Amino acid sequence: MNKVLTHKAPFVTSKLRVSGVMLDVIITLLPLVFFSYLAHGKYSMMVIGTAVGSALITDWLVSWFFLKKPNSPLDGSAIITATLMAFTLSPYTPLYMVAFGGAMAVLFGKTLWGGVGKNRFNPALVGREFMVAFFPVVMTSASVWMAGTYTVVRGLHPFSVFGQGEIINYLNSIFYNTNGALGEYSIVFLALAGIYLVARRRIGWQIPTGLLVTFFALSLWFEDSISNYSIAGVLLGAIFMATDMPSSPNSNSGKLFYGIMIGAVAIICLAGGVKHEYMSYSILVLNGFSTKINEVFIPRTWGRKTDLPLRIKQTVLLILQIVAVSMAVLGLNYYGYIHYLVFVYLAYMIFNFHFFTQKKLQDPI
Amino acid sequence: MFMKIPSLKSVTKKLPITELESTDVFYIPLQAYFGTMKPLVAVGQKVQQYLPLAEGKDGSRIHAPVSGEILELNYLINENPHLVLQNDFTNTTYIDQELESATELTDKIRLAGISGSGGAGFPTHIKYKTNAIDTLIVNGVECEPYLTADYALMYDEAGEILKAAQASAQYFGAKNIVIGLEKQNKELVKIFESHSELMHGVSFKLLPNTYPQGGELQLIKAVIGKEIPKGSIPADEGVVVSNVATLLAVYKALELNQPNIDRVVTVSGEAAKHYGNFRVKIGTPIEYVLKKAGVNAANVDVVLGGPMMGKIVTDLKQPISKTSGGLLSFKKSAVKENNCIQCSYCADACPQHLMPMQFASAKFDHDTQKFIQFNVLDCIECGACQYICPSNVPLMQSISEGKSLLKSLQNSVPV
Repeated sequence: MNKVLTHKAPFVTSKLRVSGVMLDVIITLLPLVFFSYLAHGKYSMMVIGTAVGSALITDWLVSWFFLKKPNSPLDGSAIITATLMAFTLSPYTPLYMVAFGGAMAVLFGKTLWGGVGKNRFNPALVGREFMVAFFPVVMTSASVWMAGTYTVVRGLHPFSVFGQGEIINYLNSIFYNTNGALGEYSIVFLALAGIYLVARRRIGWQIPTGLLVTFFALSLWFEDSISNYSIAGVLLGAIFMATDMPSSPNSNSGKLFYGIMIGAVAIICLAGGVKHEYMSYSILVLNGFSTKINEVFIPRTWGRKTDLPLRIKQTVLLILQIVAVSMAVLGLNYYGYIHYLVFVYLAYMIFNFHFFTQKKLQDPI
Repeated sequence: MFMKIPSLKSVTKKLPITELESTDVFYIPLQAYFGTMKPLVAVGQKVQQYLPLAEGKDGSRIHAPVSGEILELNYLINENPHLVLQNDFTNTTYIDQELESATELTDKIRLAGISGSGGAGFPTHIKYKTNAIDTLIVNGVECEPYLTADYALMYDEAGEILKAAQASAQYFGAKNIVIGLEKQNKELVKIFESHSELMHGVSFKLLPNTYPQGGELQLIKAVIGKEIPKGSIPADEGVVVSNVATLLAVYKALELNQPNIDRVVTVSGEAAKHYGNFRVKIGTPIEYVLKKAGVNAANVDVVLGGPMMGKIVTDLKQPISKTSGGLLSFKKSAVKENNCIQCSYCADACPQHLMPMQFASAKFDHDTQKFIQFNVLDCIECGACQYICPSNVPLMQSISEGKSLLKSLQNSVPV
């Protein structure tokens, strides 16, 4: 059949394609990958490499099998998802678990939603939570973080040229340190990545700003009642995880609200005794509210007025719902039942794909 | 908003207006803003240049661009009726007593067949029937890429435009005339100012080179600082916006008693080998303009209008109308559609602050309520969202489907 293309206006288009958007994100990930090599050498590389390899193979296989779109892995999204997932892991995580996480991130985080752009939850965090649910002993034990002490470079001291002292030591430590998960070794470069992505408009400033301001303000307020957290981990979540385009809201005001609520829910999680997963949980909870946020935070149309009382009413209702869901998550976490949530999600995804998503695979949205 | 669409105007910007010699067969479009116009002539009738050929219910007119013979009254091009006029090249002209003796400005405008040259082609005599106007905004913002017809007019005929603006302002009792120009064209200020005798009450507003700055609502905001919603009447805010090409037609009616029979058309585009700003008679078939301009129409997409809001030409007999500011050719290209990645660039680009991605999801989910919820009827169809979309999601198509869906719903509900 000869399909006649009825070329419609506009007849000029921007040169920017999806791959260009993805490329900018990959550019910001590279320095962080480099620091992870400096920190834990081949161990870091093995974890990141396994995650990426597993994600790419899974993407290629399941896209071909479920979506009938074999070119999908070339868009770069699987590489980003897998690298970000690896960034939340210990460099000494057993590789078969990493491979499992990478595959689940793609399959249950993206493909079964209908492919790139259609996922409602951040796929990297979905992969991570699958790992936690299926390998709880290893993933939640301290031993996986202590399993090795191998470092390529123990410390970098770029700020020492300005002198010595506590401030210089602190600056050196935020430039590079060897503690924490794979993406957390350079706070400076995490921040630079955020600035670059905002400047290039790959992420809106509203999400990281709202999230970080809320998180740090509340953490000072509730200093006594929250457990330890990792600044680099919060940055990683604020810049790379919460800003995942498909799973975050679209309007500027919606993004700001979403960022603020992630910050607040993360503090609630910390205060409620969630140890490692506070950023994951808060982002995933808010991912679930993105569609609703889009409906409430509609930008004011040109020349028209926003119904302010209605907006306030809807916002308050939304906050109550978010807090209620967060409390439920805290409860499940307290009793150690979170993994059942992952199993329910797994079953839901299969059901949803079979009865709904499958019928809309050709639709672009 | 961050739409910086390359202007692509440099190829034709400095080219003077060239008269395009008349063709032998004209197709006079009978479609007007308020329905189809009724012919005032019969088949076989000999007509002189400037003779009124058809009139609409609202009094809109269209005139003979040349002298000649009427061959047909209802020639369909894309299902729209056209009058066919065979040029006899004798150049005899008709003197319209009614036009010459009219004293009221709106009568002159109506009898001269003037309608908005910018886009929709709204009859100018109806637009001018208003009172209590404070500011006349002269729209010299041609934000569509490639198009330089208005620029060329302002460059060559600034004095005539100013004269018409002054006469219009006087008619309205408007104290201010504000000429809106893009920053990239600020050299035009000097050209206008060289007509110092016509400059009383005139000021300039330089606007950023972003798209779609020339949209009426966006222009009004830039000049009077007030956002007015789509569908409202600018005159209620004390402003009238008039395009420079429309004002030139007003000048010709007022000073020369000459009806509106031609306009300036920019010939350009990425696949065009020849460029220019041509003064073309209304009714000239597109194929003739392209041939004269040296553009080979084979294997290219020909677009009438600008690249953002123009329409593809499917029949090259289709004539130049009073609203055609550009004739562009583009390489034929297949558009590859990808999944929407929810990047929100479309929402950032939207001058009306809408969320175009929601219209695409409303279309594919068959969700009528969503079209209403996200205000699809406020869309001005400028195409900025489609331009920026990195996935070529059919946003414009979703929007026009949504609008016609809502229209059909309105019609089916008894009021």
